[in-house]
Amino acid sequence: MKEKLHYMFFSMTHPFDGFYEIRFRDKGSVLLASIVLAIYGIMKCARAQYTGFILNLNDMSELNSISIFMSSVVLVILFCISNWSVTTLFGGKGNMQGIYTIMCYCLIPLIVSDLLVTVLSNFIILDEAMLLYMLEGIGIVWFVFLVVSGLCVAHEYGLFQNLASIFVTFIAAVLIVFLVVLFLTLEEKMFSFATDIVREIIRTR
Amino acid sequence: MKKKTKLNFFACAMSIALGCISISTTAYASDGTSYVYDGYIYDADRNVVDSPAAFSLERVIDTDNSGGIAIQGIDDVCTSSDGRIFLSDKKSGRINVYDSEGSFLQSIKAIWTKEGTIQLDDDGNQVTLKSPEGCYVHEKTNELYIADSEAGCVVVLNLDDYTFLRKITKPSNMTGSTDFKPSKVAVDEADRIFVVVQSSYEGIIELASDGSFIGYYGVNVPKVNLIDYFWKSLATDEQKAQMSKTLAPAFNNVAIDGEGFVMAVTYDSAATDMVFRLNSKGENVIREEGNTYIKGDIKTEDSSQFVDIAVTDYGVYAVLDQRRGRVFIYDFDGEQLIAFGSLGNLKGEFKTPTGISWLGQKLVITDSTLGCAYILAPTAFGKAMLSGSEEYYNGRWDEALVYFEEAVKYNSNYEVGYTGIGKNYLMKDEYEKAMYYFNLGGSRKYYSKAFYGYRGLWLKAHFKIIAVIFVILVGLLIWSEIKYNRAGKAKA
Repeated sequence: MKEKLHYMFFSMTHPFDGFYEIRFRDKGSVLLASIVLAIYGIMKCARAQYTGFILNLNDMSELNSISIFMSSVVLVILFCISNWSVTTLFGGKGNMQGIYTIMCYCLIPLIVSDLLVTVLSNFIILDEAMLLYMLEGIGIVWFVFLVVSGLCVAHEYGLFQNLASIFVTFIAAVLIVFLVVLFLTLEEKMFSFATDIVREIIRTR
Repeated sequence: MKKKTKLNFFACAMSIALGCISISTTAYASDGTSYVYDGYIYDADRNVVDSPAAFSLERVIDTDNSGGIAIQGIDDVCTSSDGRIFLSDKKSGRINVYDSEGSFLQSIKAIWTKEGTIQLDDDGNQVTLKSPEGCYVHEKTNELYIADSEAGCVVVLNLDDYTFLRKITKPSNMTGSTDFKPSKVAVDEADRIFVVVQSSYEGIIELASDGSFIGYYGVNVPKVNLIDYFWKSLATDEQKAQMSKTLAPAFNNVAIDGEGFVMAVTYDSAATDMVFRLNSKGENVIREEGNTYIKGDIKTEDSSQFVDIAVTDYGVYAVLDQRRGRVFIYDFDGEQLIAFGSLGNLKGEFKTPTGISWLGQKLVITDSTLGCAYILAPTAFGKAMLSGSEEYYNGRWDEALVYFEEAVKYNSNYEVGYTGIGKNYLMKDEYEKAMYYFNLGGSRKYYSKAFYGYRGLWLKAHFKIIAVIFVILVGLLIWSEIKYNRAGKAKA
């Protein structure tokens, strides 16, 4: 476990080597990945709540930690699922476990930058907000770099093939969301149909 | 059984409706049960927050107390500094004059000369008001301007005895496609005359004091719809000719604020801005520094439609929304003080509000369908609210603080008050208190300023500890580097 933890942080600075070890020498851990994902969701909630008053434009009376947590976590999982479904069709070598592990590890720079921004935002004034946005930008660029390199390693793709697969992944994600919404709507209709029938049957004068 | 209750309900509703109508037609004078205008503001999170009433109905001016003259529909109101109220009745072609208590003084229909004869025009006809839609009191030259749309002229009268001074007809050098049918009029400190013609997309007509044409004034930008833009970019010239043109929204009313800027409103919901403060180039320079937008009701599909604006000397302005019969009051910074009023049949509610004007701290609001004017007096909260803004505008911080604190006592949701108190503490360098009040007022900009001061003081006070921690950290860093290098050498 200690070794796996070591490789998790090692991949942050050496993504190709690190993710290679994780992918091919079983140095990744789904448990660790899930913990990172959970921390990411919690961090998003903390960011919404504990950002300093000057930069925090959220309506505190409307803040819903559960929905923030779910939406950030579900987005990552959705990306994993749609990436897996796309790459399976396009000859990617990655399996679901590998994709999930790597994706979650990639979130670490985002967590760190979120943490820094949240803490520092309590000590800055409006004129210095630019610095924080820069910090956040660094986190995002780092995250994107990790995702691209990680998926390259996981699927044994070239760079452009990988970028194309990521692009298609987004389209697939939209499709998945569409299907889910469609399914839920239909299911709701079915359910209300069934309840209507039951109501008609048990109705008394 | 069910049918019966329905009928009952219907009868009940009918009787209520009838009752309301009968109340509204016989409404006059305050009787201790006057209508209270409970209001609301949009807070820093753009939520609607209740506010106690800033105004209550003091008196109703209608046909019953107009000296036997039937009021048919009031289109505009203006007030003079000595408290006279001028109501322009477009349908009956009269300007009715009342004193500040709402008692009838005089009705202007035919225009008299100084000599006591009826003024004749060039053709020898008597000059009378045909359809006066707007009026304006110009205190500087002691003149009353009346915009008569049907006669196509602006009549200027002496403010004291309402005798004829001059008549401004369509200037000979006027360009553009706008008909000269003055609907509203305003005159600034340089005696320039601003004439509004309804549904004129060219802008406000600006006239020199002698009545000659200077130009069209004011820039009003229509909202560009992305889909329309896309189709227009595809269309051929013939198709474009058939499409409806996107015209600049028209201005509907003007006023002059205390600093001599022209303020205007537009009724058109397609406009990007609703309320204008126009600089000499005709650009909108209104301050929108408050917690909400100066658009009346926000977060709604059918936006507010402003028909009139009234400005005080201290920059507080009230705009009148005809769609929902609401009055929105903003201060010079664009902070919303309150919104109140509604459409309905109760005494004090509106049908078709048309004009609004300040009478000191009171408001006069006219309604053309009801044919009446309401005089609204500020409540204790309203007085504190307006006085606070006035003192703050004039830079008397301490007096303002007293009023803000009073206003906050009446209305704990009053963000402008909290921000005002905070600004006062900020001036006195009491940063911590200032931050507390800016937080309550939702003013991030000023909170940031106060926090800057607070942080500076904190750093100064704790400089020794911070310096020590910093030195220790740097020392640790150097030490670990040295250790690392030694270890490396030892290995080598």
